[in-house]
Amino acid sequence: MTDTTTQVRMTAATRLYLYVSLSLVAALVLVPLVTTALGGFKSLGDLRTSPFGLPSDWVWSNYTDILFGERYWRQMANSLFIAVMTVFLTVVASAMAAFTFAHVRFFGSGHLMNYFLIGLMFPVATAILPLFIRIRDLGLLDSYWGVILPQVAFGLGMSILLFRNYFRNLPEELFQAAFVDGCGYIRFFWYVSLPLSRPIVATVSIVTFVNSWNSYILPLIMLNTETKYPWPLGIMVYRGEFGTEWQLVLAFITLTILPTVIVFFLAQKHIIAGLTAGAVKS
Amino acid sequence: MTDMTAAAVATQGVTGPKVRYKSPTARGRLPVLVLFLPPALLLFTLFVILPMGEAAWYSLYRWNGYGTPTEFVGIRNFTVLFNNGAFSQALINNGLIIVISLLLQIPLAIWLATMLAHKIAGVVAFRLIFFLPYVLADVAAGLIWRFVYDGDYGLFAAIAGFFGVATPYVLADRDLAIYAVLAVIVWKYFGFHMMLFIAGLQAVDKSVLEAAEIDGATGWQKFRYVTLPLLGSTVRLSVFFAIIGSLQLFDLIMPLTGGGPSNSTQTMVTFLYTYGVTRMQVGLGSAVGVVLFVICITLAFGYKRIFMRHD
Amino acid sequence: MASVELRDVRKAYGAVEVIHGVSLAIDDGEFIALVGPSGCGKSTLLRMIAGLEEISDGEIFIGGTVVNPLTPRERNIAMVFQSYALYPHMTVAENMGFNLKLSGVAKPDIERRVGEAARMLALDELLDRKPSQLSGGQRQRVAMGRAVVRDPAVFLFDEPLSNLDAKLRVQMRTEIKTLHHKVGTTSVYVTHDQIEAMTLADRIVVLNGGRIEQVGTPLDLYRAPVNVFVAGFIGSPAMNFLDADVDADAGGPAARLTDGTVIRLDPSSAVKRGQAVKLGLRPEHIVPGASEGGSVVAGQTLVVEPTGAQTHVVFMLAGEAVTAVVDGAFPARYGAPFEAAIAAEQVHVFDRRSGLAL
Repeated sequence: MTDTTTQVRMTAATRLYLYVSLSLVAALVLVPLVTTALGGFKSLGDLRTSPFGLPSDWVWSNYTDILFGERYWRQMANSLFIAVMTVFLTVVASAMAAFTFAHVRFFGSGHLMNYFLIGLMFPVATAILPLFIRIRDLGLLDSYWGVILPQVAFGLGMSILLFRNYFRNLPEELFQAAFVDGCGYIRFFWYVSLPLSRPIVATVSIVTFVNSWNSYILPLIMLNTETKYPWPLGIMVYRGEFGTEWQLVLAFITLTILPTVIVFFLAQKHIIAGLTAGAVKS
Repeated sequence: MTDMTAAAVATQGVTGPKVRYKSPTARGRLPVLVLFLPPALLLFTLFVILPMGEAAWYSLYRWNGYGTPTEFVGIRNFTVLFNNGAFSQALINNGLIIVISLLLQIPLAIWLATMLAHKIAGVVAFRLIFFLPYVLADVAAGLIWRFVYDGDYGLFAAIAGFFGVATPYVLADRDLAIYAVLAVIVWKYFGFHMMLFIAGLQAVDKSVLEAAEIDGATGWQKFRYVTLPLLGSTVRLSVFFAIIGSLQLFDLIMPLTGGGPSNSTQTMVTFLYTYGVTRMQVGLGSAVGVVLFVICITLAFGYKRIFMRHD
Repeated sequence: MASVELRDVRKAYGAVEVIHGVSLAIDDGEFIALVGPSGCGKSTLLRMIAGLEEISDGEIFIGGTVVNPLTPRERNIAMVFQSYALYPHMTVAENMGFNLKLSGVAKPDIERRVGEAARMLALDELLDRKPSQLSGGQRQRVAMGRAVVRDPAVFLFDEPLSNLDAKLRVQMRTEIKTLHHKVGTTSVYVTHDQIEAMTLADRIVVLNGGRIEQVGTPLDLYRAPVNVFVAGFIGSPAMNFLDADVDADAGGPAARLTDGTVIRLDPSSAVKRGQAVKLGLRPEHIVPGASEGGSVVAGQTLVVEPTGAQTHVVFMLAGEAVTAVVDGAFPARYGAPFEAAIAAEQVHVFDRRSGLAL
């Protein structure tokens, strides 16, 4: 089963074994997802009698009602705004800090780097209550910034590490050539480091975006007004409101995860590489 | 050239005491440090380090979050915590998640990764499908499975109906609920671990496998004696992520069970949320945070020191 | 353009000093090569002139100005790096014009000056390419173009040819020399390859262990090395060294090798009878057959290496393997006796203890 190099000799039996096993697992993954999407087209009664099959009667209104309503789009917009701002601030702050760690020699550089690495060790939940109190005292409760700033702060450890390792691997002579050409540190950062860092900017952006887009606990604690809810929060409210009207909830789930699924299939190579590399390299 | 002459005239010909010149490389350092470091430093200190320190401080008080904490209770929050049945259950559940990950998820991930290392048609599609649950939000995955497990409408209801047995309400069953949750965790995360192993397998030198083949190793022997040992560092990495993931598990539990029924599916973070945040028991919640922090730090350092020092 | 002067320049990393007080004056328009084995401090010295490396002690003047506290840009130097260090994300034109852009030169001016430099280096056709689309030689030319464009006071070259293959290296060597004739800018060129140094430089500075061994024109160094190190470093194949003791001979001073062979020395050599010396015989001065006034050296042939026009013959002399360069037509044969002569004025004599030329 580990014949990685000799696929030529693969027997029909091996091939059958592979496809059957893989298809079984794929079915386990896909059935809940497909059922969810199809469930959104059913009536409640239909759902009760045949949750598996195709809808006996395609009820488009479940979806269209949501799509023509304001709620869904507002939640998407909220999520998008929070995610984009989080990505932007994370990339800017961590790239700048990482640049100083990689290129500027200064007293305490190593200790300061380790200070940021503490952020890799524990999840946001450990400090969630003091964080809540701090955000409240700063008057940021129930605002987008109350979610964005902590998200950025907790993403810094990994992002700085990824950026620093990347900057360090840029050839040293490039820096000297730029210095001779008249660049100071800041111009070198702007004209040379950043333009050469697209791959790592992409990785950090993808990881940060996915984390923010899917984030639940921070908005749950920091936001009170439903009009400001990002979708993971909104979907829970929706489910609370419509309780057992599963066909509506399923349609809503389908529509909310649809952007993720579409973007995932469009940019799968980058996303998989980003999410796994981001994890491994840190 | 002209801008240097003034300085030159001043220094040239001076033969007495040595002139100390400032290094040209050092001159640009201050502006870049002043501009580039503070944003990250400020955000990180304000929203990561200080709250963590405050958690340690608050955990020694009984406090509802308003005014300043004055009611010092020492370590009572911690004793309350460790005598609390729900918290013990949360600890057990976190441990259970780690065990399941070791016994089920990682072997599954390795098995799938080795299968997907074959160059057969459809490999890419399978990889995508298996990775898909990982990119979905935990909340969405939790809600989807809430429906799957639903005793009245969901797939379990249909399956039970098909076999003509009474529908099990798994998420409402104190003994079954945690296993239902564990199944969702595996469903959600095995793809990520599989990707780690695929990356690990790609790093294995093909010529080593060919050498084993020439030595007469069968497919299983090649796996057992060559591939698996070479995947050692990936296994350790995978275990590490499973542990970290388990410790911060929250988003998935909330839509599924919310920690119920009767606290049977609490994790440390859901416990923190349920008892600390919603009831505004800042001291108790912070104590949970401190326990979580200590566990994380111990694991991070201990694990890295013991298992990953060679990686 | 400007002269460059180093006054007792030192470099220390912590307590370890790697450059021990180097003083050197380079004239305006001169082409200077810094040579020496790896680790001799030649690159460090160059980078100190460039302003990339802090100067621990001493002073460096460019155009009569102390440049110690100045940045590379303020020193108005240009540098060609070993790896070329071209910006991978910029086109050839952008690479060459980057310095001017940073100095705030107007766009049309940048284009004009980049165009001129490109014509000089035959890069006109490549201006829109990225470095990754260029061959090694083209990258090398872009790196030089980048230096030429800004019309600097001093050109600094840090082993610029060491990443090229042998044939290209010879070609680029010629181009560098042509370029220097055209622009006439003061140049400092670091290399470990003494042939590069000999062919390019007006004067060569031989460095060893952070100290200057000798400064002089290529022929000075070849003809009159001041010590064993320079003698052995300059010239290819390298000079043969043989231990000997000074003895008197009929016509003048002579030295006796350990096997008794007598080598006559130049009458002007300042040697004393009985002095322990090291003789330096250049392979190309060992001529087969006997010759008038020369000393005879003979031994068994160990190795024969034909290179075409010439053949290198290695033979045993006084227990040492000695190389001679003979005409390609010479019938050298492994194991056969080899007999040759060397003129007294071609024999270099060094004190065995101090290594200094006598």
